[in-house]
Parts: sequence; structure tokens; C-alpha cells
Amino acid sequence: MRERDKGRSVRGMSRRRMLGIGGALGLTAVTGLSTAAVLARRPPMTGAQLHSAVPLPPPFRVPLPIPAVLEPVDTSGGVDRYAITQREASVEVLPGIDTPMWTYEGTFPGPTIESRRGRPVEVAHRNELPVPSVVHLHGGRTPADSDGYPTDLVLPEGWRDATAHSAHGMDDPRAVVTELTRDYAFPMDQRATLLWYHDHRMDFTAPAIWRGLAGLHLVRDEAEDALGLPAGPRELPLMIADHAFTADGGLDYPSLDPTLRERPGVSEPYLAGVLGDVVLVNGAPWPVCEVDAARYRLRILNASNARHYELEAVDDEGRGLDLVQVGADQGLLAAPVTHRSLPIAPAERYDVVVDFSGVPVGGRVRLLNRLGSGRTGEVMAFRVARRAADDSRVPDTLATDLPSWRREDAVRVRDLTFRAGRMGEGHGWLIDGLPFDPARADVTTGLGDVEVWRLIADVHHPVHLHLVGFRVLSRRGGEPLPHDAGLKDTVALRPGEAVEIITRFEGYRGRFLFHCHNAEHEDMGMMANLEIV
Amino acid sequence: MVTSSLESTAAHGTRPIGWVFRAVVSAHMVAIAGQPVFAGTYLSGDFDSLRWHTIGADAVTYIGYAQVVAAIAVWVRLRRAWPFAATMAVVAAETVQYFAGMEGALWLHLPLGVMTVAALVVQFIAVWRQPLSRRARANGEVRDA
Repeated sequence: MRERDKGRSVRGMSRRRMLGIGGALGLTAVTGLSTAAVLARRPPMTGAQLHSAVPLPPPFRVPLPIPAVLEPVDTSGGVDRYAITQREASVEVLPGIDTPMWTYEGTFPGPTIESRRGRPVEVAHRNELPVPSVVHLHGGRTPADSDGYPTDLVLPEGWRDATAHSAHGMDDPRAVVTELTRDYAFPMDQRATLLWYHDHRMDFTAPAIWRGLAGLHLVRDEAEDALGLPAGPRELPLMIADHAFTADGGLDYPSLDPTLRERPGVSEPYLAGVLGDVVLVNGAPWPVCEVDAARYRLRILNASNARHYELEAVDDEGRGLDLVQVGADQGLLAAPVTHRSLPIAPAERYDVVVDFSGVPVGGRVRLLNRLGSGRTGEVMAFRVARRAADDSRVPDTLATDLPSWRREDAVRVRDLTFRAGRMGEGHGWLIDGLPFDPARADVTTGLGDVEVWRLIADVHHPVHLHLVGFRVLSRRGGEPLPHDAGLKDTVALRPGEAVEIITRFEGYRGRFLFHCHNAEHEDMGMMANLEIV
Repeated sequence: MVTSSLESTAAHGTRPIGWVFRAVVSAHMVAIAGQPVFAGTYLSGDFDSLRWHTIGADAVTYIGYAQVVAAIAVWVRLRRAWPFAATMAVVAAETVQYFAGMEGALWLHLPLGVMTVAALVVQFIAVWRQPLSRRARANGEVRDA
């Protein structure tokens, strides 16, 4: 009582009341922050995960498959010509289970194309799928007419008659539509690197990639061959992609229209991206690869629709092996960069050398995903089978041909936002507040112009530019991260993050694209035109 | 009108160090009010706002340190400890806030930011609503915090 009187005389408010108010505010703060801590995705993740209805196979049992290298049908006239048929096929992805997929040449991943820098490649694609298709060579320095613009459809037989009355797709007067087949011509006038080809059809890219329409395409040259990096059987392409399976062994995907004919999009919970619960490498679930105790060159591609990984190679004792990055999306780095863990966003590639010579014979090195939880926390494993001689090396200087664009060279600086927003009646993903429209030139630039783009994201957006490679100038207003090194064509923006990139728009004039490579975002508006004049 | 009547009552009996503390708290409140503004314009696509948000964070931090010094002086000169306790709580929150922002831990950065602004608004009201006079040393209150 005495205290209460005293408090009132000093403050005009009793001490008990003060404590009550303070306590209530404190409790509100603690409750709010703990709720955020509990509900938040840490590490943050954009997308929702499907859960397979089949029992998942144990990890590290299935041998790592290596996609077959496609033989050219013709090599005359200094051009390598290939033929690929896109067709439905039943593929054994999970052991003992047949999964109907959409494939290039009946396999998943599709066959690998090996090309040489400066030697043109032509690929005749024949569409025997039930829907139109478009092929884009990701990372390719390709003229616009072969770049796989989303409305440049290859129609399957009978499609026009069957859909004469439907309003599928957007009207695009510049679209070049072909029936049944299309020849894609790739000059391959670009740095040696790992590219990949995949479907890029308007509104339906995400489910098409998910169903299996993806394959690797390597570009090689003499300079890279001369470096002495691990080669032959010690060079492993690793296409990482997450999937989910239905009870009958089919691929699960929350399409609004499972025929993928008319109505694009995914059901509401998956608008931010579709994540699977099975991690496939080269089409096999959590595979294991037998290796020599030697250096290996891993050509890693994240071909997932929306899943980001942070890769770490860990031995039986839990020790991490160095991941020595020698290349990025668009080829060799100037010098190697050593990582303990390597974040990789959808469509990004990393060229990494791992040395297994310190691992005892019989030992195992697991490739883990620090952004995953439970089964998605594991990717694959390597089992060291034998000691072996190793004459490979990782030179201190890998390349001297990297462009040296400086900020002062830029004739233009553009700010571009990648955010959620309203698209028509529903939810969409927008670039600078607008959903994709083939008829609108969002960015027009002159051939040869150097530009700085400042990209700003709300959630995760792996931003990809067609035609050109770029360098990362800054991230979050500060220095780029170690894995931003080199020449890239896809840069991962994390929530609330801004990245500055610099590039020169060279190569070819025409209508190209830039877009978010979260494939669901891409299908829901997050693309824009890049017109080079 | 309300402000001037508050001013007149508050001014009565406020010591110079009390005025200094009020000035620092006021500057702190103004500086922190700019932070959500820059964050919002940044997320709307204005890249330069990120730099302003960073500069603002530095400014808020330095003003916070100045407020700690002023609050110690208030404690010593005016024998009032609550400004120091409240200041330390806000400065601690701002420190966490700074690193949460740098690390991109938005789940923490956003709610903590809102709470820090609210806490400074409460402090602003607290320092202006009554005189910051020297506290009398009364019988039986010597050990009172």
C-alpha cells in the first residue's frame, strides 16, 4: 500500500500498473518473436513440398547413371546434326517402379550433346508428345529464332484441328509455329561450359520440365582441354532434380489441368513453387557413385523446378571436403574458388573439383543439402573403391578471357523488381509490377551496349537472362559472395535481397527473354522480353 | 495545442541533462521512423533505398549509443535509472536487428523492427509527458530502484 501511494505521487501511475503495462508489452514482444521464430522457414525456402505416396527407396543404393552421349546423325559441312524425338516413355526412376514421363529420346535425363566451341550444332526435334513443345538451350548464345521463345511452338500432329476453338496461349503475332518438327540451330560460338536444354512452352514450362523434358549439353574447347582438369570417367555430370510420386508410380504434380492442354497453373498451396520429396541425380534417387581415390570434376546442374540446395561433401567422420569451384554457369573462372558449401539455385551450374584421395578405400563421401530437411537433406554419395594414380591438376589460372566490364562502361542502369502480385483474377509473379506479355518490349537495348541491372526480390528468385552471361557486381549493397564468381547466366536472389549485375548485350539482335527460373514463377507471369536492336 | 500544453508542464523542472536526453530520444525516434520508409521503397523496387536503409541503420545505431551515454548521465545527475534500463533494452534490440538485417533473417528483422519503433515511441512519450527533474532523496527510498 505504501509503495502504491508513493508511485502515484511520483508518476501519477502506480508502480503495479507500470509493471503490468511493461509486462504486457514484454510478453507481446516475446510471443511475437517466438511465433516468428517457430513459423519461419529457417533457412528460408520458397515453395511447398509434395509428399510421395510410394515408399521411398533407401539412400545410396542405386548406382549413379550417366546420361548417354547422343551420336550425331550427320557431321558433314562442319556442322554436327542431331535428331531428337520428344515422346512419352515409361522410365524406371524408383527401383522396380515404372514412371510414365515425357522424354527426349525415351530417357530421363535426355541424351547429352557434346559440342565443340565454334562448331555449329543443329538439332531436329520431333514432337510426338500430346501437347506443343518448345526447346530452349539454357545458357546458349543462340540467335532468337532458335532460342526457344515460349510461343514458337512445335505442334504435335493434329493439334491445330483439335484446338481450333480453344483460346490456348496468348496471341503473339511474332510467333513462329511449326508442325511436328523444328530444326534448332546453335552456332556454339561461346565459352566452354555445361548448358542444358529443356522445354520452354508458354505457361507450361514447369510441368514439362517436371515430367522429364531436360537434358545436358556440353561445350568444350582446346583451352579447357589443355588445363589438365580431371577428365573422362573422372568427369561426372550431375543433374539434380527433386520429384514426387503418386501411388501408382506416376509423377505427382499439382497441375490445374493434368493434361497440360489448356489451363495453366498449379493449385493454390503450390503457387510459390513445387518441391518434391525425392532427390534425383541423373534421374536416380539418392544414387551412389563408385570412385577412385582421386580428383573428380563434378559438372553440377540444379534442374529442379523450385528447390535450392546448399551442397556439402562430407566423409564418414563428418569432415567436409573442399569443393574447388573451377567454373560457373558460363564457363571457367579466372582462378579456382574453394568452398566448404555451395548454394545452387534452380538452373545454376557449378563446375567443381573434389579430391577423394584423402578418403580411405571403402570410405564414403555423402553429398548433403544443408537447405533440406529429412530425406531432402541428402543428395547422393561417392564410395571410394580403390587407390589410383592421378595426373589431373587444378591450375591457379584457369582462364584469361573473362570480360572486364566496369561499372563506368554501363550506358544504362536498370532497376527491376521480382515480386508477387495480382495477375488477372489470381495470384501471379511479376517483373516490375507486370506479368509476361509477348507483345510488350520490357527492355530494349542496343547490340553491344553494356548495362548494369539492379535486381530486387521479395522471396527467392533465381533470375536468368537468355543470350548473355553476366557478372555479379554486388549483393545486398555489399561485395558479391564467393560463389558469385565468374560469368553467370542465372543469379539467385534470396528473400529481400538485391543483386547488381553487369553485362554486354552482344551476339545477336532479336527478341529474347529474361525471367525467374523458379519454373512455377516463370509460368505465372515472371518473364519479360529483352529486345536487342 | 496539446503539444504546447505538454511542453509547458514538461518544461517545468526539467534539468539541462534532461533536455539533452529528450533531444537524443527525439532524434532517435525520428531516425528509426525512416527505416520502414526506406525498407518499403526498397522493396517497391528503388535500389537506392537499400543504401539509405543501411545508412539509416548506422545512424540509428550511433544515436542509440549517444542515448546510452545520455541515459547514464541522467541516472547520475537526476538519480533516475529507468531511462538507462529502457535505453539498454532498445539498443540491445537494435543490435540484434542490425545483424538480423545483414543476415537476411527477415522473420526476425521485420517483427523486431516494428517492436523497436514502438518501444522508441513509448520512450518519446515518457520523456516528454512529465518533467525530467532531479529525483528527491526521500526517507525510506534510498535503496529503491
